[in-house]
Amino acid sequence: MQAGLVDTFRHPARTRGGVAWLVSGLLLVSYLLLYLGPIPVLGLHFDVFQKLAEAVHVSSKWTLYGLLYTAAMVAGGAYFLRRHARNSPYQRVRTIVVVLVQIVFGFSLPLVMTVFGAHEYYFSYFWPLKLEYLSPGYILHQPFLILAYSFLGSLLAFPLLAYFLGKRFYCSWICGCGGLANTAGEPFRHLSDKSAASWRLEKVSIYLVLFLSVLTTAILWVNWAIGKQHPDFARFAFKVQDGYGFGIGAVFSGVIGVGLYPLMGTRVWCRFGCPMAAILGLIQKFGRFRISVKKDMCIACGNCSTYCEMGIDVRQYAMANQSFTRASCVGCGLCAQVCPRGVLRLENRPRRWAAGEPIRVYAVDL
Amino acid sequence: MHYVILGNGVCGMEAALALRRRDAEARISLVSDEHEHFFSRPALMYVFCGQLDLRATEPYDRGLYARMGFERVSGRVQALEATAKTLLFSDGRRLAYDKLLLAVGSKGRPAPWPGASGAGLHYFVTLRDLEGLDREAKAGRRAVVIGGGLIGVEVAEVLKQRGLEVTFLIREAWYFPLALDRNESALVAEHMRRHGVDVRLGARVEDVLRGPDSGLRGIRLTGGPAELACDLIVCTIGVVPNTEFLRGGPLQLSDAGAIQVDEQLRTSLPDVWAAGDCANVTWADGSRRPEQLWYTARDQGRVAAQSMLGDPASYRRGTWYNSAKFFDLEWTSAGWVPAAIDWDGGRIDPGPDLKTWFQRVPGRFESQRIVVEGERVVGFNMLGGRWNHELMLQWIHERRSLDHVLKRLADAQFDEEFSVRFAVRPEASGLSAGGH
Repeated sequence: MQAGLVDTFRHPARTRGGVAWLVSGLLLVSYLLLYLGPIPVLGLHFDVFQKLAEAVHVSSKWTLYGLLYTAAMVAGGAYFLRRHARNSPYQRVRTIVVVLVQIVFGFSLPLVMTVFGAHEYYFSYFWPLKLEYLSPGYILHQPFLILAYSFLGSLLAFPLLAYFLGKRFYCSWICGCGGLANTAGEPFRHLSDKSAASWRLEKVSIYLVLFLSVLTTAILWVNWAIGKQHPDFARFAFKVQDGYGFGIGAVFSGVIGVGLYPLMGTRVWCRFGCPMAAILGLIQKFGRFRISVKKDMCIACGNCSTYCEMGIDVRQYAMANQSFTRASCVGCGLCAQVCPRGVLRLENRPRRWAAGEPIRVYAVDL
Repeated sequence: MHYVILGNGVCGMEAALALRRRDAEARISLVSDEHEHFFSRPALMYVFCGQLDLRATEPYDRGLYARMGFERVSGRVQALEATAKTLLFSDGRRLAYDKLLLAVGSKGRPAPWPGASGAGLHYFVTLRDLEGLDREAKAGRRAVVIGGGLIGVEVAEVLKQRGLEVTFLIREAWYFPLALDRNESALVAEHMRRHGVDVRLGARVEDVLRGPDSGLRGIRLTGGPAELACDLIVCTIGVVPNTEFLRGGPLQLSDAGAIQVDEQLRTSLPDVWAAGDCANVTWADGSRRPEQLWYTARDQGRVAAQSMLGDPASYRRGTWYNSAKFFDLEWTSAGWVPAAIDWDGGRIDPGPDLKTWFQRVPGRFESQRIVVEGERVVGFNMLGGRWNHELMLQWIHERRSLDHVLKRLADAQFDEEFSVRFAVRPEASGLSAGGH
């Protein structure tokens, strides 16, 4: 029994009850107002969040949003630590790191940069999660060190880290999206869909978004090379960038990604949309990270599958004595933690014994 | 061919899957009166405390029966009519079989104390047990859990969590003497007490006291002070085979009610097999008892299916291992860890050649015990951390020495990353005589 998970299935807010729909609705509306600003067709002629920001003497609504986001992560982080970290050094270290990264790199540093007259830059985000960080119109105007940081980070450091540590190094330790999911979103982690159908959908949708992000980036680079000579193409490139930014960046990762927490679990964007997760997941498949399964110890209780935020049916692997690596696994470690028989372990050490070898030996003369 | 499997637990389900894997055409019926779907019995405590819902404890999706062509028969079987090769249900229905597997499992061992049966007495084995306890376990009530085993500690945990006052009565001088020695048990008892459970060792129940309306009033302990008042009792003194409906019939049962089987898991009747909790199998030490474990039920189900298909498969118990959890303390056992006390409370002589290495990690609820016979390590009993029994069994089979094992023991740790690495501590006992 995990003290922090008791009564999960008795709480209407956590079992898609009326409260959950209400919270989800409020989140969806808030995100729409934040991203759309004034909506004249609905008779809304001013930007609610901008007005709100000015009312509390914050320069822009995005700073206000950053502040609220960070506050949610700090509060959620404290909640998570109380629920899960008492007996878990992994959860303790991971949660503290992801919250600190948000405070420092996701909020304070960009703000400080603007105070000193520089462009804000989020050192915890990379292409393709933040498309502009490898797009010529943005990154080429940054100081050389930031440009080098972005290129080396996206194209060299990240693949290497994902190979050796698994995608968790980013998705569960650094990323703000994952950070919010694992802190403020914690009460809803069990709502992720575990069906085979959703696994199929996930494989289509996440690689589709990855394709779109690469395509958009490519179009922007082509535009950088030939846009001046071809104003039609430049207009087209602008539309593509705008469309991706709104459709994927705002609607998918923001409105849907966070708005559906109380109904579909916390990692909807990470699982079905994030192009960064797609790339890191592919590298993870061939890398060292895995979830090791102890042989013939699983009692099929279902805690691991239930509390997997990525909708992985971990129990099937545990029952089959099969150590495994799933591309979507963000390595949050909850499956291992909630297992009452200690069957699962997150590992990235070189493998010790050959997978699939029968371990149980019968009829030994004791 | 019509295979009928009586029992829808892990043993019956594994047998059905194994049969289907080999025989795409056969008719396979699964009979149960407990639940429409196969669920994980050890997960019931998580359903009770709301950490899972019942649906989450079903290991397979609900399309499985249709996909596999399993026919589901709901109902309570009243008798096995061996000559006619039919099952008689309590509502008068009959179901004919060509080959029958009895995988009926077990139920809580009935409370033997005078006055016990009646309102307020609970068990915690079946779904019905769970529902009954769920209705009565209200915060603030006084519960007494009787029986110092694995189910008892789970019940104490979930009742305590729900806000009941929990008294845990253990007949023996220490908790779980079948598996823990005095040091380990003291550690577990201390841990339970920190969680607010009133643990009473050496507590024998004399009788159960009831009021004028036969409502539960309390319990009287042998030689103890006055009565122990309580609102409900959970009896967790072990399980017995669920074979009452077979008593007096042609099928051979052990005195304890387990179905006698041979190595192929065949019963005394033609075309009838038995496996899982209800089967009297032969253990590695030659004794014949049921094995009431999840993974052995699963293995027996698979072997029974092979045997029903006509394979020469036979069930052999491998080297013992098990794991459990006492509140937050995880326990892993592998190999031969001799019991200190038998079921009747008598001390067991561990034999002249056995020695023990033991250490308790200071400041933590954590200990390690290694049993050595001559020069060879034969058993492990690890408390408070996570350990990989595979590596331990491998060392046992390779007949490794204590030195060899202690040097590599950290490799068998299965704790999460950033955990403290195993090390031999200065306060470790060294080798002492006796198996515990």
